[in-house]
Amino acid sequence: MTRAYGLAASMVLTIASCAIALGQAPKKPTAAGGGSLENTIAIMDHIWLDAAHNRDSATLEWLFADDFVEVHPGGFIVNKHEQIEQIMDPERTLNELHPDNIQVRYMSPEVAVLTDTTTIKGTSGGVSYDGPQRVIRVFVKQNGRWRAAGAGIARIVAP
Amino acid sequence: MMRRIHVEAVALILCFAPLAFSQTKSATPPTGGEDWSALDHKWLDSERTGDLDYLEKFFADSYVLVLANGQSYTKKEWLGILRGPDRPTLVKLDPENIKVHLFGNVAILTDHTTIKGHDSKGNSLDGEFNVFRVVIKQNGSWRATGVVMNQDMTKKGSK
Repeated sequence: MTRAYGLAASMVLTIASCAIALGQAPKKPTAAGGGSLENTIAIMDHIWLDAAHNRDSATLEWLFADDFVEVHPGGFIVNKHEQIEQIMDPERTLNELHPDNIQVRYMSPEVAVLTDTTTIKGTSGGVSYDGPQRVIRVFVKQNGRWRAAGAGIARIVAP
Repeated sequence: MMRRIHVEAVALILCFAPLAFSQTKSATPPTGGEDWSALDHKWLDSERTGDLDYLEKFFADSYVLVLANGQSYTKKEWLGILRGPDRPTLVKLDPENIKVHLFGNVAILTDHTTIKGHDSKGNSLDGEFNVFRVVIKQNGSWRATGVVMNQDMTKKGSK
């Protein structure tokens, strides 16, 4: 099932990328939905969080670049292996994980930088991660396909 | 005899030329030859000293800053604060433990930044932060496009 999901995601992205990849110049920030390349990146964002929500390690392995890095609230810095290990931790609970307000801030033929507001409901290591998080996500094109290069996440504190 | 030595010498050169070439290529630092520490220090020194001319050029139009409380600022908004009467006073803004993840024309830097200073109302801004920084290469120059700050809780054992 996991493999089928990864394969389907791969096909969707390949088709989408082929249709739009030619000669895109760097663009000004736009809300996702403003163009097909932005749509592709928004889909990548959803695949990322869906895979994390479903503990789909095969898709995360497929998605994350080898030199992936993520900075979590509290300043915890993890690499690809550590991030997948955390997601697969059986003691971690994750009831909700989804991105909203996806905005593609920068786009070139091989780089995309977006921001989103990611809602998390769950715990990790006994610590609650409930609430909205402001996130910058970076995607890079490697060998013809988009991969996640990293993310920085900060918890949104109510004023 | 002389002719044979000459031919053998040419053959040897041809054999070793590709090897020498590949050694030259692999000797290139994995950082792409960029002095990332200098770039990070120059960036933060410019914020501390108020070198807005440099920051105007160094920040890409897509620049977005996410503070540790999740508050985000665009390039225009952040430079507006640095130019305005509410500009913070920064005595120390020092990045350490700079690590680079290079993906062609985008690099993700992580560092530990120490801040000492206060806002325009005298409230302390002192803190230790682990920071996620994104820089992109545009027209041959590296420019900042994103920052996510998180207070460093990693030494307090609260994950």
